[in-house]
Amino acid sequence: MIRIEEFLLRARLDQHALQAWVAAGWLVPPQTDPEPMFSDVDLARAQLIHDLRQDFGVNDEAVSVILHLVDQMHGLRRSMQELLNEMRANKT
Amino acid sequence: MSEDPYAVLGVKPEATQDEIRKVYRQLAKKLHPDLNPGDRQAEEKFKQVSAAYDLLGDAEKRARYDRGEIDASGAERPRERYYRDFHGAGAEEHSYSTNAGFGDFAETDDILKEMFARGGGERQFRLRGQDVLYRLPVEFLEAVNGATKRITMPDGGTIDVVIPAGTRDRQVLRLRGKGGPGIGGGTPGDALVEIGVKPHAFFTRKDDDIHVEVPISLPEAVLGAKLDVPTPSGPVRMTVPKGTNTGRVLRLRGKGAARGDGGHGDEYVTLKIVLPDEPDPELEAFAQRWQAGKDQNPRRHLEA
Repeated sequence: MIRIEEFLLRARLDQHALQAWVAAGWLVPPQTDPEPMFSDVDLARAQLIHDLRQDFGVNDEAVSVILHLVDQMHGLRRSMQELLNEMRANKT
Repeated sequence: MSEDPYAVLGVKPEATQDEIRKVYRQLAKKLHPDLNPGDRQAEEKFKQVSAAYDLLGDAEKRARYDRGEIDASGAERPRERYYRDFHGAGAEEHSYSTNAGFGDFAETDDILKEMFARGGGERQFRLRGQDVLYRLPVEFLEAVNGATKRITMPDGGTIDVVIPAGTRDRQVLRLRGKGGPGIGGGTPGDALVEIGVKPHAFFTRKDDDIHVEVPISLPEAVLGAKLDVPTPSGPVRMTVPKGTNTGRVLRLRGKGAARGDGGHGDEYVTLKIVLPDEPDPELEAFAQRWQAGKDQNPRRHLEA
């Protein structure tokens, strides 16, 4: 787990931006007391959001849409992979 | 990457920064690994494109490359893991895992329902406010004796800072909950107040002890005297013994700064004999005929 100070530094965010990103649902850090702890997933996701906004010129509304679709796609890919693994196991 | 970065991006060497950025955005949108989680070729190409853009997207770096000062190798930027690396079979569940993309299949099929039963994350976020740093100058005696000072915060509010007796220079006082506001019901941060103690006209401080130099007249030194000596808590009567020399140090117990354990340091009074401002004929005549004084050699210890 990553503490918030380190996360802000590595994700190149300040507290206000983080607050906005969490409010928008872009980041959902697991809540622990007294402050949230972050993981490598959050870091990678923050990097993706930076890429979208800075390099791709995606506006904030569209970031939410893209993240939602990307997450759904990952869910589908994972289930598909598990399904394929099951089928292979059953064959042998 | 050692290919020509212009060729990788497919732009002419005379392209403007704007054109280069546009082309990069176009390519990156198509090739970004998080938008092409299953495509290894896209990933490889994306790496090359990113490296080329790292070089050409920055006008200064590009100029150095054009002049031949740097080459295209070694320009690849180290990247932490991609978001897609945290997904896939066997990857740990996290707050972004979702089955929202196929909730409708699962409704009709128990096997699928079991396989797809995967929860979303909770959107709950509490964050402690930031600590705010202040620097507060205080007078020497305020630090020694204690005081209350008011700080104006950037938002116009004020905080009363109680400076405990015995506070030292550069000591940091932590005022709990007086920092930045918390987020989502989180506790506020602390105000950290660094105390800067101003120097005093005649007192100096060493740890918890106070030092002061007190001048005495020749008769006071020779005959002894009772003097009023300044201390941080007010003047104190002190006895100067007969025959006191310059440099003699007298201690006033408990007249120093407050210590953490409830006690106090001491005040050390260094005495200094001061002759009259104007030469005095009577004193001169006395010194002329004072044989014992002439015989004294106060520099014996300096002789090699």
